[in-house]
Amino acid sequence: MNTIYEFVTGPLAWLTWTAFFAGCAWRLASMYKLAKSKDTSSIAFMSWKYSLRSIAHWVTPFATLGWRKNPALTVATFLFHVLIFAVPIFLTAHVMLWDQFFGISFPAIPDPIGDYLTIVVIALCVFFAVRRLQDPNVRYITKKADWIALAIVFAPFMTGFLAFRQILDYDTMIILHILAGEIMLVAIPWTRLSHMVFAVFTRSYMGSEFGGVRHARDW
Amino acid sequence: MGIHDRLIEDVGLRRGVSRLTPEKIEKTVNAVLKNETGARLKVYSETCMRCGMCATACHYAQSHPDDPSYTPAGKVRQTLDVLLDKGGKVEPDFIYGMAQLAYTECNLCRRCVHYCPIGIDTGYIMTVIRRICHKLGVTPQYIQDTAHSHSATFNQMWVKDDEWADTLQWQEEEAREEFPNMRIPLDKEGADIYYSVIAPEPKFRTQLIYQAAAIMHAAGVDWTMPAEPGWDNSDMCMFTGDFEMMGRLKRRHFESAQKLKVKRIVMGECGHAFRSIYDVGNRWDGWMWHPIPVVHSIEFFWELMRDGKIKLAKKYPGPVTVHDPCNVVRGRGLHEKLRELVRFLIDGDIVEMASHGEHNICCTAGGGVINCGPPFKNVRVAGSKSKAEELKATGVKTIVAPCHNCHGGLEDTVHAYHLGMEIKFLGDIIYECMEKPEA
Amino acid sequence: MKRCLPILIVAVILAFSQLASSQEDMTVIAPDAFGKLTRPAATFVHDQHNEKAGVEDCVLCHHGGSDGVQDPESSTEGIPCADCHAVQPDKGTTGLSKAYHLQCISCHEQSGKGPLACGQCHVR
Repeated sequence: MNTIYEFVTGPLAWLTWTAFFAGCAWRLASMYKLAKSKDTSSIAFMSWKYSLRSIAHWVTPFATLGWRKNPALTVATFLFHVLIFAVPIFLTAHVMLWDQFFGISFPAIPDPIGDYLTIVVIALCVFFAVRRLQDPNVRYITKKADWIALAIVFAPFMTGFLAFRQILDYDTMIILHILAGEIMLVAIPWTRLSHMVFAVFTRSYMGSEFGGVRHARDW
Repeated sequence: MGIHDRLIEDVGLRRGVSRLTPEKIEKTVNAVLKNETGARLKVYSETCMRCGMCATACHYAQSHPDDPSYTPAGKVRQTLDVLLDKGGKVEPDFIYGMAQLAYTECNLCRRCVHYCPIGIDTGYIMTVIRRICHKLGVTPQYIQDTAHSHSATFNQMWVKDDEWADTLQWQEEEAREEFPNMRIPLDKEGADIYYSVIAPEPKFRTQLIYQAAAIMHAAGVDWTMPAEPGWDNSDMCMFTGDFEMMGRLKRRHFESAQKLKVKRIVMGECGHAFRSIYDVGNRWDGWMWHPIPVVHSIEFFWELMRDGKIKLAKKYPGPVTVHDPCNVVRGRGLHEKLRELVRFLIDGDIVEMASHGEHNICCTAGGGVINCGPPFKNVRVAGSKSKAEELKATGVKTIVAPCHNCHGGLEDTVHAYHLGMEIKFLGDIIYECMEKPEA
Repeated sequence: MKRCLPILIVAVILAFSQLASSQEDMTVIAPDAFGKLTRPAATFVHDQHNEKAGVEDCVLCHHGGSDGVQDPESSTEGIPCADCHAVQPDKGTTGLSKAYHLQCISCHEQSGKGPLACGQCHVR
């Protein structure tokens, strides 16, 4: 147990962080290079002002036509995205580990609230899954990659929940939890989760075209 | 459900597909994807989270609420997704459906942009699909005919060089009965305004040229029209995917204006031509902006009214509703000016449709769809059901629509859904209401 | 889980009744300083642990030091950890929970034995 635990929290964790940052950097750099050679008539119009204007609208719930027309999904999406960052970073157990491994300390979400928020994330994953299966518009466009992306995000939260509650074998679960988190980080640059690094640019581009060229709102 | 369950026979598509082999398809698809697309398409296809939020954006989907194959992401699913998944290894029959979908079931109106959180431009994706179809030689017959006309004559309607000048002189002569001193100045160097139109105007909507000339005359504008090819600002090649020809057209247009050393190009009430000159063709030609400022009629007429250049003898009886053409509203943000102008002109209220301004619903004719001709008319009219409902809900009898294609589409919609509405160009209303001192 | 239950009960009773007056009786780490515990107290049967781990030198755990610097020579046997390690530490000093975590986990890591993950000590 100790050997495995030390391996997944030690060398494997470092490998994971390296793969995550290097992967993101590589994807961004190579995509920028590609854009430079093939999309010059697009990137020529990039504008800070209109990028930020567009981003500001789209990170505000119900500030855009799309958000307003899909209220349930809007609430779910915002909650989901806030929580999948906030919970792993600010969970008490993780704050202890930030301190233990990196020597940085900051306030934590108390355990019972963290537990509750994890359940919310799991419930949201279920919501997304049910929506994929139930809504004909979504089912029609769903591909394997969409399920993979959802599963990758679902796994660390589910295993984290089980480990925290110490349901099933704890030792196994905590290893699975760490592995699931590591899989997620490594997968971000290479799956649909890459929207984490790319969305800001697609959003900015659309904002720039609409603001600077078309003089119209893109929200 | 999907495009392959609703194929429509079209000579152009059929003949094009009959010449294809899987090898040729694979080669062409991958050549376009590799050489002509880059980070945009790659990121769009990779990060579309298939959330389905765009489903209700599209008027085709709104008009077919139980058929997800009409949704923006659903269209990508049936076209680009398949090409990418199979690495271009698809059968000729697949190309038939892909072409029909891209040319006739998407108006490139970009309404879905307002729905996509990460900013995916489905209109762009459909444009790439059209580009592939063009390169495969699989294009609907009617729109390809106009593209051929562009190639051969530099105008959309096979108008011969002498016919163009003749038509202008004929309109001038007609108008001089009403305005004895009126001229349509051809090739006037250094004029303030270079007025450009689309080829259907000299071909069968000559009254629009007549009206424009009357307005220019009444406003005392220093204007000209070119006597040589380059006068047609329209661009069906942009919509078929024939970008090389689009580039030639736009270059010819700009150069024709540059040769005359005019200050500005004012474009007639057309949407797609504006998109081509203002946003798309200029980029293909390597101009970030425009060698000569480009102004749409909405803005030009608005200036005339603001500056008091045109005096109204009466106001047009309202209420009216305003149809926002995608290419000058989502494409140029002219909706406010359009409304200010309409308020100058009408006596009564503007009753807005539920979706207006940038959020307008397309006329379902744009993006070259109406130009695909009669075989696809029923698809188009069926797709405009949601537009018809919004029009009907206004309860008014007049639609102001400053775009040729919108007129064509709305006429069919008004007829098919028994809306009993009349459709007016801004020029129609200004001409009808303005003071005609010499008359 | 069933196996843990008696320990848990004992732990909770001990934690709240403050029966643990000497190290011989110590079975969990639950100093008063923490007040209400957020997780179940870490199981720690002092003598049994040291016997199993072969720890004889008290200073190995009961170290001294000041201003956030550990002194592994001076023994602080008999002085409660919380006397030096505040629950809310000042800058440059080590807080109480971090002190326990560092103390236990680093030793377990070095020896390759003993619990490392949260739930292995804080058993529900």
